[in-house]
Amino acid sequence: MKDVNGCNIVDMLDLSDNQLVKLSKNNTFSLSLEEMKVIQRYFQGLKRNPTDIEIETIAQTWSEHCKHKTLTGIIRYTEFDDTKAQKVKTYKNLLKETIFKVTMELNKKWCWSVFEDNAGIIEFDSKNGVAFKVETHNHPSALDPYGGTSTGVGGAIRDILGVGLGAKPLANTNVFCFGNPNVELREIPKNIHHPKKVIKDAVAGVGDYGNKMGIPTVNGAVHFDNGYISNPLVYCGTFGIIPKNKIRKKVNVGDLILLVGGKTGRDGIHGATFSSLQLSYESDVNAVQMGNPIIEKKVLDAMLNARDLNLYRSVTDCGAGGLSSAIGELGRKTGAIVYLNKVPLKYSGLRPWEIWISEAQERMVFAVPPENKNKIIKVFKKEKVEAVFIGEFTKNKRLIIKYNNDVIANICMVFLHNEMPKSTKTAVYRIKKEKLQKSIKMSDDKISRTLKTLLSDLNICSREWIVRQYDHEVQGQTIVKPLQGNSIEISGPGDASIIFPYNIINGTKKGVVLSNGLNPQYGKINTYKMAASAIEEALRNAVAVGANIEKIALLDNFCWGNPNYPKILGGIVRAANACYDVAKAFETPFISGKDSLYNEYSIICKKYSIPSTILISAIGIIEDISKTITMPLKNKNNKLFLAGITRNELGGSVFAKIINISDGIVPSVYPMESKIIMKNIHMAIKKNLVESCHDCSEGGFAVAASEMAFASGKGIIINIDSIKTDMCPMTPIEILFSESNGRFIIEVKCENELKLREIFKNAVLTEVGYVSDDNNVIFESKMHKIRIKENTEDLLKAWRNTLNW
Amino acid sequence: MKKVKVLILRTAGTNCDYETQMAFELCGAFAERVHIDILIEKKNKIFKYDILAFPGGFSYGDDIASGKILSNEIKNKLGDIVKKFAMSGRPIIGICNGFQVFVKMGLLPDPNVFEQVSSLYYNDSGRFECRWVYVKIEKKTRSIWVKNLPEIISLPVAHGEGKFIPKNKNLLKVLSKNNQIVLKYSSKDGNIPKYPLDPNGSSEQIAAISNPEGNILGLMPHPERYIFALQHPNREGFDSKYGWGKIIFQNAVDFVK
Amino acid sequence: MNFKIEILTKKCFENSRGKNMLSKIYSMHINGIKKVEYSPLYVIGGNISFDEARIIAADLLSDKITETYAIAESDQHCKISSPILSMIEVWYKKNVTDTVSESIIKAVKDLGISKKFKIKTGHKYYLYGRISKAVLSRITTKLLANTLIQEYKIIK
Repeated sequence: MKDVNGCNIVDMLDLSDNQLVKLSKNNTFSLSLEEMKVIQRYFQGLKRNPTDIEIETIAQTWSEHCKHKTLTGIIRYTEFDDTKAQKVKTYKNLLKETIFKVTMELNKKWCWSVFEDNAGIIEFDSKNGVAFKVETHNHPSALDPYGGTSTGVGGAIRDILGVGLGAKPLANTNVFCFGNPNVELREIPKNIHHPKKVIKDAVAGVGDYGNKMGIPTVNGAVHFDNGYISNPLVYCGTFGIIPKNKIRKKVNVGDLILLVGGKTGRDGIHGATFSSLQLSYESDVNAVQMGNPIIEKKVLDAMLNARDLNLYRSVTDCGAGGLSSAIGELGRKTGAIVYLNKVPLKYSGLRPWEIWISEAQERMVFAVPPENKNKIIKVFKKEKVEAVFIGEFTKNKRLIIKYNNDVIANICMVFLHNEMPKSTKTAVYRIKKEKLQKSIKMSDDKISRTLKTLLSDLNICSREWIVRQYDHEVQGQTIVKPLQGNSIEISGPGDASIIFPYNIINGTKKGVVLSNGLNPQYGKINTYKMAASAIEEALRNAVAVGANIEKIALLDNFCWGNPNYPKILGGIVRAANACYDVAKAFETPFISGKDSLYNEYSIICKKYSIPSTILISAIGIIEDISKTITMPLKNKNNKLFLAGITRNELGGSVFAKIINISDGIVPSVYPMESKIIMKNIHMAIKKNLVESCHDCSEGGFAVAASEMAFASGKGIIINIDSIKTDMCPMTPIEILFSESNGRFIIEVKCENELKLREIFKNAVLTEVGYVSDDNNVIFESKMHKIRIKENTEDLLKAWRNTLNW
Repeated sequence: MKKVKVLILRTAGTNCDYETQMAFELCGAFAERVHIDILIEKKNKIFKYDILAFPGGFSYGDDIASGKILSNEIKNKLGDIVKKFAMSGRPIIGICNGFQVFVKMGLLPDPNVFEQVSSLYYNDSGRFECRWVYVKIEKKTRSIWVKNLPEIISLPVAHGEGKFIPKNKNLLKVLSKNNQIVLKYSSKDGNIPKYPLDPNGSSEQIAAISNPEGNILGLMPHPERYIFALQHPNREGFDSKYGWGKIIFQNAVDFVK
Repeated sequence: MNFKIEILTKKCFENSRGKNMLSKIYSMHINGIKKVEYSPLYVIGGNISFDEARIIAADLLSDKITETYAIAESDQHCKISSPILSMIEVWYKKNVTDTVSESIIKAVKDLGISKKFKIKTGHKYYLYGRISKAVLSRITTKLLANTLIQEYKIIK
């Protein structure tokens, strides 16, 4: 390699295949041989070697993170069911044939922008939209949980600032998957943080960044499994409000490139390409990003001013791949020339390619019409935000980078964006036969103890320790909160959160509902059912607080292991197909999504993958925020109804884990059944017929009913015999703890019973009990001579004390 | 009738300015968010306003300590006019970060002295806490901000550094003698609360104090987040629509009228 | 000249950040530590005089009510020899962004000191209790410092 103008010339024209592979590996390009050969051919055509900055640019643009090349590449898929029958299918582009396809086929008018911008946008009212994006930030969070989660939050917020011409963030959501915090320190591999340290730092990172931005963190989920010890998952999401006339962006030839926000340093170099590598803890300090929320807050304040003054034509955030991705994307249809010397640096000594692909935080890139040059600088100066013009958009469809007056990169945009070779991968999935467990019987005492063990299980217990560290009420708009209780002293787990954006849209009555669905335990047995259940759970959660399923959009986030293993890719294909089937049936379109693959790690030369994990996030519009409800019980003598059918579905359940059985059927989704129930619940809430509502998920009916009781301090009496099951006979224990989808517990005043039954005449609705006037939670079955009695305080204690550090 | 004008001072890291603005406007005032640099440039602009509000947030990231850098900046660059504004008897409110700034520059407990004699330090729990609590309005308070309220109301708190600490015991006596203690954390029935209803371990459960004259209020809870009944965890309030926090802003607006 | 400034919580007030770290240590089932005290550290370099450093420490870096400060020339450490005390300093590695230091530079200007200077921020932990070297090193690398971005000095 020769050094010219701070750049190395990468000698590659004559390299053999082996040498190309080595070149890619040694430089963390994460490019395949096929891709390296396309690049070699391109430069052979130009009769010159590339500079390091050119090949880095291509590596960033073609990275898994930016291009999703696995899920948009060719996949040859074979599926075996338990009868050994085979199904073979080739996908030319899995995402287009599943997730995007739902949205295209449903073709909802209220979806304003899908899969094209930094976030999806749906209609809020005639003049405003809601933009929503959820991203993963796994690798940085594994290395430095505090820095990782805080920059994850910062990045999600910038996605919302960079959608259209910029949305104003309303709320954040955060979802984590961690290892069990109670493992012994000596069981943790060297160089890996103990889960407790990861959890504490990750929560502190989210809190510090979100709180300092003044954006409430209102909803989330946490899942614990030892498969995440070495590779925790961190999902960060933000939604915001954007005026309808600020959604379309474009770049004109001659527009200036304005770089705004933080200075550039060596932070996060190779973050984009790094995300397609498995974790190794020798990763250098440069892979770590440091966040500064106050810079981002200043950028937010200033850029919304500039937006409302119409001072720029387009904007995007600097995320993975840094300037390379941001400018490459903005200029793909025009061309761009960049003067790299003008980029403000944190310290000297950066090589040009490092400046170009650094993932330093809190930076945005704007396309500014030349006539607004001085005006826009003034706006940023007022908020003390650094803003520097670093180039312009040209008409020659080439990316040209100059450094010290020399051209150090000159590549064709068409090559950069359109000529990445499609990968072909093989995928295999063997559908496991699920076997009904042996019928389960227990003494009353044992059932009681099991209920408390469930409530205190890591995957069910209170997240209060986390939630309270997040300012979930800043902006004053969080009217359905993450923790809900009928008094200030007690609380239960809310299903979803609702934001009432009265500060931004004067006089509105509408609200935005946000919820999540996640259950990797189902995925260990069946990734199709995991994805289907995640969609249903997200929808159920939103519906339980008053959302209308006809106005809900979905986001997908796939986190999987190394897709070069056919089995792992097979699991993804199955999950993607579930996304299509179930979202189509519910008529809920996907508007945005993300994937994070290669989540694997090695311990003593053995490779492990994380549990396959899909997160589904739902966002919906509430027509009238006064028609929303919470989950704690409201009044004694009110009747309790269960909507939906209870099936013998204990596979992958928390109950199965606790009593240590490996059999059981994983819960299926019955969209035609559930959809009617969800519509009915919305109708009943709208007509003020529902006092409280809670969905059944982890832990099943018994846990959901107990939560409603202890969140209110009110007792309940439940007749287990009255619970409607399907054909397959179930013991009372199975009825109590089965995790069947499609079920809601509804509290209704006696005088409203008939009206509720009228609404539910087309669906299963069973009276199962009532709210008592003491604080005892009683489940009884006269048929099986079972009577369990616990008081709400003890149950609340069991639920509260696990995660309470 | 004259429109009451409110100046909401903001800087890098201020983040409760919009809801504070909405709270005042809902009470019939005209509220304007003004960046500190603008005020430093034209100091006398401050006297065009009737009420001064320091909203919540993390001014300059609360780097070093909460409110420290902003209090330092105000004292050095705007100290004289803020003091003059305070002495004129016009209402001033500092919410959360605003209260931290007041205490650290010495605007509270007494702008005549204008020196730091108390502090708001790290919560006993050692972490940021966001929750609703009960506060009791001290019977003898002279604060113009807390009239027409029931004896105990609930309000949300959200802070990591809210533990009120006086320089010495004597100061507590003085505050009490001058009726400068405005709000105390309380249990639902008015008794001394335990954590978490006492969210930070403040001396004497102090949640808010005023100057001896009662026109300046500094408080850790966020009344601007309780303007509507819907914002309450149990949707309680008055006139079936409003939250008790609104009264606090209404009192100041009515006082000026 | 470089000055090292240490901010100490007065003994009569709870050192809640130290207490927090102690609970983190306990939560890892590491026994033997009785108490942890935490102090923020700053090193100021450049043309700052001792008097100016004192003003910065007194008016900006410390809280008048709850904290005191100590200033030393940068390489000095107080020499305490107690069998039950360990002291660890943690600093960011070179080229890792130190956001607090940027805020301090602005704040020092507000104080009326307009000289050019550099500042870096760090943390100091006092651990009380009898623990072995191996345990001390485990606490330091697993809890006090993230060795990827921070370096540490076990002073004693």
